[in-house]
Amino acid sequence: MLPLSEREVSPEIIASCRTGDRDALRVLFDTYKDRVYSLSLYFFHGDESLAADVTQQVFLKVITNVDRFKGDAAFSTWLYRLAVNACQDAARRRKSGAIVADRARLEGFAASSSQEDDYTRAQNARCVRDAVSALPPKLRMAVLLRYFDELSYEEMAQVLHCSMGTVASRLSRGHKMLAERLKGVTGAGG
Amino acid sequence: MFDRHVNTQLASYLDGELPAPERQRIERHLSSCETCRIECDQVRTGLSMVHALPLASAPAAIWNAIEAATHQTHSQPAWFRYRIPALAAVLTVAIAAILYLTLGHRHQSNWDVVGLQGSTAVDSKPIRGTSTVKPGEWIETASSSSARVQIGAIGVVEVGPATRLRVTAIRPSEHRLALARGEIHAKIIAPPKLFFVDTPSATAEDLGCEYSLKTDEDGLGLLHVTLGWVSFQWKGLESLVPAGASCRTRPHTGPGVPYFDDAPEELIQALGTLAATNYAGSSLDVVLRDARVRDTLTLWHLLPRTESPDRQRIYERIAALSPVPTDVSRERALQLDPDTLARWREALAWTW
Amino acid sequence: MWRFLIVNVLTLMLAGAEGFTFVLASPVASQQFQFKSATFVFRAEGCDSTAPQITATAEGIVKGERKSVELKVASGPKPGIYAVFQNWPPEGQWLVNLKGACGNMTAGAIVPIGPKGFIRESSKILPRPATDNEIETTLRTQGGKK
Repeated sequence: MLPLSEREVSPEIIASCRTGDRDALRVLFDTYKDRVYSLSLYFFHGDESLAADVTQQVFLKVITNVDRFKGDAAFSTWLYRLAVNACQDAARRRKSGAIVADRARLEGFAASSSQEDDYTRAQNARCVRDAVSALPPKLRMAVLLRYFDELSYEEMAQVLHCSMGTVASRLSRGHKMLAERLKGVTGAGG
Repeated sequence: MFDRHVNTQLASYLDGELPAPERQRIERHLSSCETCRIECDQVRTGLSMVHALPLASAPAAIWNAIEAATHQTHSQPAWFRYRIPALAAVLTVAIAAILYLTLGHRHQSNWDVVGLQGSTAVDSKPIRGTSTVKPGEWIETASSSSARVQIGAIGVVEVGPATRLRVTAIRPSEHRLALARGEIHAKIIAPPKLFFVDTPSATAEDLGCEYSLKTDEDGLGLLHVTLGWVSFQWKGLESLVPAGASCRTRPHTGPGVPYFDDAPEELIQALGTLAATNYAGSSLDVVLRDARVRDTLTLWHLLPRTESPDRQRIYERIAALSPVPTDVSRERALQLDPDTLARWREALAWTW
Repeated sequence: MWRFLIVNVLTLMLAGAEGFTFVLASPVASQQFQFKSATFVFRAEGCDSTAPQITATAEGIVKGERKSVELKVASGPKPGIYAVFQNWPPEGQWLVNLKGACGNMTAGAIVPIGPKGFIRESSKILPRPATDNEIETTLRTQGGKK
């Protein structure tokens, strides 16, 4: 996990954002955009349009509410709480109740964004993405937050409004389910 | 001594998130519990699997969209900044709308009302100059009078003569008026599902910027959109009215079929006759005959209001005016499948 | 008769040929509330490999004086759909000149603007950026119609 100093924007940047400094807002956006986008993308089964929409909503809220951030928690904790809420709101608004992994999008995404030349590893990545998509939403969010956004259990508890014990339980169950689903892919035992 | 299973703590154990005493307890348990050992291997495998997921690159378009939403313009030549175009005023309202919706800490409980001409009353009391109006209160203008209502930070509503209008909700998630009679002209910048105007026969949900709405006390009304688009709804029936189009509404039947204001006069008249005869009769021949490509707005809205064989004729006419997308099946369109009709509307909107 | 048929067949063939092009529409086509105050929206079709490079300028005549304003093309959450917002003065005659590049393909459009927004019937979609002559001719024609 990256040290906090490498994954947080500086207090000076946040102070500049409060004054409406567009350059500072752009720095803030560039620091977190890929992680927020990845969280949304994998949470919504590769739906790039929805992930872009959710990411946009999150940063609009950040830009217009940055003066409400009091500094009593890590900025990333506050940001990811907005991201989780935005994902949950979007999930509620989705018309189709059944969540089906969009294989075409996921596979296309693998071809365009994976930097791995090894075909086997690219295949594995696709299988992992499908397995993550199939996790129940609460477990899926916990797994994605931990992996992409590198939050501590304490930070995740704040973001998800639950206890650290619940965070631990969701991660344990989520990773176990992933291993069970991916048994045939990697030969991993159960 | 009973040693409880540790399966819910395995992730935190493997992640190194546990204090030393708890970590040691788990290690002791794992050494003697095969079930938890197997599960620990599974969690370890799952943790390693997730590392196969690549970080996705957020599209550049997202920042462009954020800038568009906050309408930050690049530096421009000074020569034309001397006059603020109408768009700048609208953009200011847009930014104010976003701030209003997301800050939320200044929850307004009333709106400002300004009498522009003649006499205006709020809650039956005549106002002088500026006053305020609360939910539940009526705004009433005399004939030859007009007023303006500031709808929080999202826009204004101009109230025409002989109009009776009630404020029904002022909430962060809902701004609502009820137009009992008369005419209003709304200029609103807000996301969908925030600003609504109820009339006796339909509700206008603001999805757009600027429109006028008039009604009489019996519910006979007319919506005309000048900028953006508005959803006109009643009991599950919806008419989407884009800029440059109008839509009548009738008591007990709700919103009618929208039409472009520049449509052939005979088409508009035939549409009125159709509406009065429950969308059956020979007036459909005139509508089909005179429809241009952009009048597929009207034809698409006629589909769910008609029966066979008229519905088939309407389908064929739309198909003749604008190629049917490959993912729109004729059979499902005629069966009024909602997803099919929605996809068709999305494609047709590019011709409206 | 044969010449007439050949010309029409060729025209149809050209029209149906794949290539990079713009499709214009009113803001309602985008179904994105961020675009509802746009002057018009457009799609860039036929550019599958990379994001196209698109620029826009407003070309106008104000009180006899020729003006040009660089515009920002806004893109929204849905890929491939863009919007142009009015950033030119309300007086005078104006059109929007769109230019697009996708690899070695190009596209263009001349979009005259009227009191009620873009004038679809007078808009020209081109397989290349508009020439200065085409822009000037369109502006003169607009001025003549007033």
